[in-house]
Order: sequence, then structure tokens, then C-alpha cells
Amino acid sequence: MSLTIALSKGRLLTGAEALFTRAGLSFPPQDTRRLIVETGELRFLFVKDMDVPVYVEYGVADAGICGSDVLLETGSDVLAPLDLGYGHCRMVLAAPPASGFAESWPTTLRVATKYAKVARGFFETRGLAPEIVKLQGSVEIAPGLGLADCIVDMVETGRTLRENGLDVVEDIAATSARLVVNRASDHTKRAEVASLLEKLKRG
Amino acid sequence: MPARLQLPQGASCFTFDEARRRRALEARVVSVFEGWGYDEIVPPLFDEAATFDPSLASKLYTFTGREGTTLALRPDFTSLVAKIAAGRLRHVAPPLRLYYSGEVVRYEPPRAGRQSEFHQMGLEFLGGGGPIADIEVIAIAIECLEAVGVTDFVLALGHAGVVTSLLDEAGFKLEDPRRDAALLSLSRRDPSAVADALAGAGGSEVARHALMGLAEDNGIRQSVDEARTVLRDIEPARKALDDLESVTKTLEEAGLRNRVAVDLSESRGLDYYTGLVFRIYGSGLGFDVGGGGRYDRLLGRLGRPMPAIGFMLGLDRLALLVERQGGGESGPAPPSIPVGGESLGRLVQQARELRSRGRKIRFGGGE
Repeated sequence: MSLTIALSKGRLLTGAEALFTRAGLSFPPQDTRRLIVETGELRFLFVKDMDVPVYVEYGVADAGICGSDVLLETGSDVLAPLDLGYGHCRMVLAAPPASGFAESWPTTLRVATKYAKVARGFFETRGLAPEIVKLQGSVEIAPGLGLADCIVDMVETGRTLRENGLDVVEDIAATSARLVVNRASDHTKRAEVASLLEKLKRG
Repeated sequence: MPARLQLPQGASCFTFDEARRRRALEARVVSVFEGWGYDEIVPPLFDEAATFDPSLASKLYTFTGREGTTLALRPDFTSLVAKIAAGRLRHVAPPLRLYYSGEVVRYEPPRAGRQSEFHQMGLEFLGGGGPIADIEVIAIAIECLEAVGVTDFVLALGHAGVVTSLLDEAGFKLEDPRRDAALLSLSRRDPSAVADALAGAGGSEVARHALMGLAEDNGIRQSVDEARTVLRDIEPARKALDDLESVTKTLEEAGLRNRVAVDLSESRGLDYYTGLVFRIYGSGLGFDVGGGGRYDRLLGRLGRPMPAIGFMLGLDRLALLVERQGGGESGPAPPSIPVGGESLGRLVQQARELRSRGRKIRFGGGE
């Protein structure tokens, strides 16, 4: 019985390969176009980053690697037993410098984001229920074009924000790459899951 | 405008083979319940919304009764059964061994093999205290899975007393929102989130360390012995571990130890459970098929204090698991005898005679 691992071909992939290689585990070649790759001991699925915890929650994959931002957004019922220690980012609220949002919030507010659930939760703690404009990417241009007053997005260096005329108003969460594990596999494939965790911890 | 023919999202409907297979599964599970001497309870389909567990409040399908009271379709059985035991059945001396099988509805999107409307089969052992009752319920759960032909499964066994006492000792008061955050993080076994939640708590170092250990799976999570060494100074945790050990020892003697795996991090539904807790996982299915635990405080809140333990299985998830493990019988459709030619009266007579001998007969023709 071997394990199936869900990965996404995004910013976390290179780090995942380095980690698996250090741990002495096989890893599929990055240039492959196939979406399901078997390496003998493991089977890998390549899916969209937001879908990694979905595949894992349903047990189609036993484990997966995704950012903790994705876990916050999907709210999937999976185990997250290992912080893989790379892919560090910040989830922030950003707005044009003149917004004044750091001091007070306007009564009507429009927020552009890929992370609708995270954004809603953040504003809830401030007693606000803004209009959420759900976008798939390039969120940074929304305030400049008048689509939204501010954005909730991931920031690595802050350069994209600056170049698009946005300042960080507030940090929402620090995120990093996580190993996620299916609840049932954790018990029904106990030995394999324990061995994977052990190797990745050492790696 | 054409008639709308689709059923609402989340509503369940089964026909033909599917329905036959479910009915056969239900019959087998029910025969295990009855084999252990449980009596059936057929609770109402709806009750006052306030009857049901607060954790389900946001998932109730509610409507207004004739007197203006808010009613709800049942989202689970336990709270109803407990209420009936404390009220209508208060003259019946405990223990009460009651089983049920029926639909419940929860206002949540279909997810992980479950519609909003789904079928639960379970039992409540009211007045059943201590390891004897714990063992009984676990043995029944194991027998149910075996009876439907599931061969590869495991019961993940924990004890609410372990995590609860650790949270207390770590310095979290009951109403503290950080306690909920710690509990949620622990149920995801997410060490960095547990560490964040613990950052502000000023309680015992041993308890904080143990909570981290449960999340990190550093040995105490699956070993009662190791946990006892680490937690020897935390009285309620030690007592919980003693409880758990007497259960695993008895299962060992009964030849059932290989069916359970100790998981001391099991911590979902802790506002409700007070003792042993378990979830059932089978190979090939990514989510649990059922679970249960001890809830010794519920009946007291209803004015009839007594210990209680119960468990339930989801029929649809169980059917899925049986299918994944290559089982599942489905009886053939009954054979037809052609109608016509002969006198219809004679045919009815013949069919009645065949049926009385257990044959299934369907008339052919006449459509």
C-alpha cells in the first residue's frame, strides 16, 4: 500500500522537491506534463493549489503540500501535522497610501481578494461586513482601477504591492508550506504516514 | 414553463439496487443491536429547536409550530433520546439500552459522502457507567462493521478527560476563546497553531508540553504508558488514562485489541463528551463512518443524572465503505410470471401460494 501525495505546480513546488530529496524520497521530474506520476514508492497528483486540501480531505490523496493560506481559505477538515519551514509569506490587508484605513474604516467598503473567506473573517472581528469582490489573481491592480478600496492578498517581499501603489495596512496571518494528511489515512495507513512524517521531519 | 423536476440540493433519494443494498445493510446492523439486547426507539421527526445540541444550532432546519414555537427537524438522535429518557421514560429504571435508525437533516452543503439529509443508525446505553459499558459499546461497533462485511477498519480511541484536563492545567478557563483555538488546532494536530494558542496561557509547563506532544505525535499520542509517565502529576489525566487502559486490556483479552488504535489527541466534540471517545475509519474511505463516546453530563442537565455512552454509524458512508472493500450484496429483482391467457383469478391464487412459501413474484404484462 503506497501513499498518494497531492502537489501544486506553484511557488511551493521547488521547495517540495528539495525537501523530498533531502528526506531520501522520490519526486517526479518538474518538466512532466502528466498530472499523475508514480515513482514506485509514491504516487503524485498535480492539482491547483486551492484544491490540494480538497483532494486530501476526501482521501483521494493521503497527504499533500499546500500553503497555510490555502488551509485558512478552504477550511478543509484535514490534519496539518508538519510546518515544512519554507515558503514563508504574509497574508495582509493593503490599500493605497491615502486611504486612512489604519485609523478608521469607511461604512461602505469593497475588498478585492482571492481569499474571500479569510477577508470576511478578518473584517468580522472588526464588526464590518464589506462587499467582497472575488478575483482569481492580479488582485493588486483592483484599488488603482476603482474596482475595490483595498485588497487582502499574499505578500512575499512587498515589491508587487509597492509597484502597484499599495501599502500594507495590517498583517492578517503569517503563512508557510504545510504537510496536510487525510484523517482516515492517518489511521488506516498508519505505518506509511508515520514513516513519511519521520523522513520529512529529519530532512 | 416546464415543471421543475430536480430535487433540492442535499435531499436524498434512493431506488432499486441502491435502496435494496441500504435496506440490507440496515437490517444487518439492526440485528447486531438487537442481538445485544437493545430496544428500538422511534423518536419524533421534529421537536422544539432548543432540544438539540447547541453545536448544531446553526445547522437546524427550523419552522414555526402552531403555537408560535420554533421547531426543528432532527439533526441527530442523541439529544432527542436523552430528552425522552428523562421525560416520558422516567418511570423506567436504568439502564436503558435503546437503538434507533432513521434520517436526520443538517443545513450544510453536501460534503464528504454525505447529503444534508442522511441516515444514522446508532444506540444509547443510558445508565451504563464505567469500563463495562465502554467495552460493550466498542464491541457492538466492531461487530456491526464485521456483520456488514467490512474487514479492514480501525477504531481510533481517545479519552475526553486527557485533553480537557490538559487544557485546564495549561491555564485556559472554560469561556476563554483561546481554549477553543487550542482545541481546534489540536484536533487538526497542527503544532504551530497549538504553539500560537499556548503562547498566552500561563499554566503548567507539563500540560503545555504534553499538548504540544499530542500535536507533534512524539510518542505520548499513541501510548498510554508513555502518556502516564509524562502526566503522572495531573490527577484527572491519570485517571482518564487508567480508564482507557482498562478498556484496552479487556479488548486484548477479548481478542479485539487489533481493532483499536489509541489516539489521545482525539478532541472533536469535547464540549459534549466526558470520557471515552472514538471514531471509526475503514480502508478505502477518506472520512470516518461513525463514532461515539461517553457523555455523562447530558442526562443530569435534563434532571435525570446518570452516566451514558452511545455511538452511531452513517448508513450512506457505511454503504460506500462496503462497496470500496468489495462487498455489498443486492438481492435480485423478483421474477415475473406473465399475466394473460389463463384466468387472472387463478394467477392471483397461484402467486399468493408461491409467496406464502417465501418466493417473490411480480406479475408480467398489464403495463
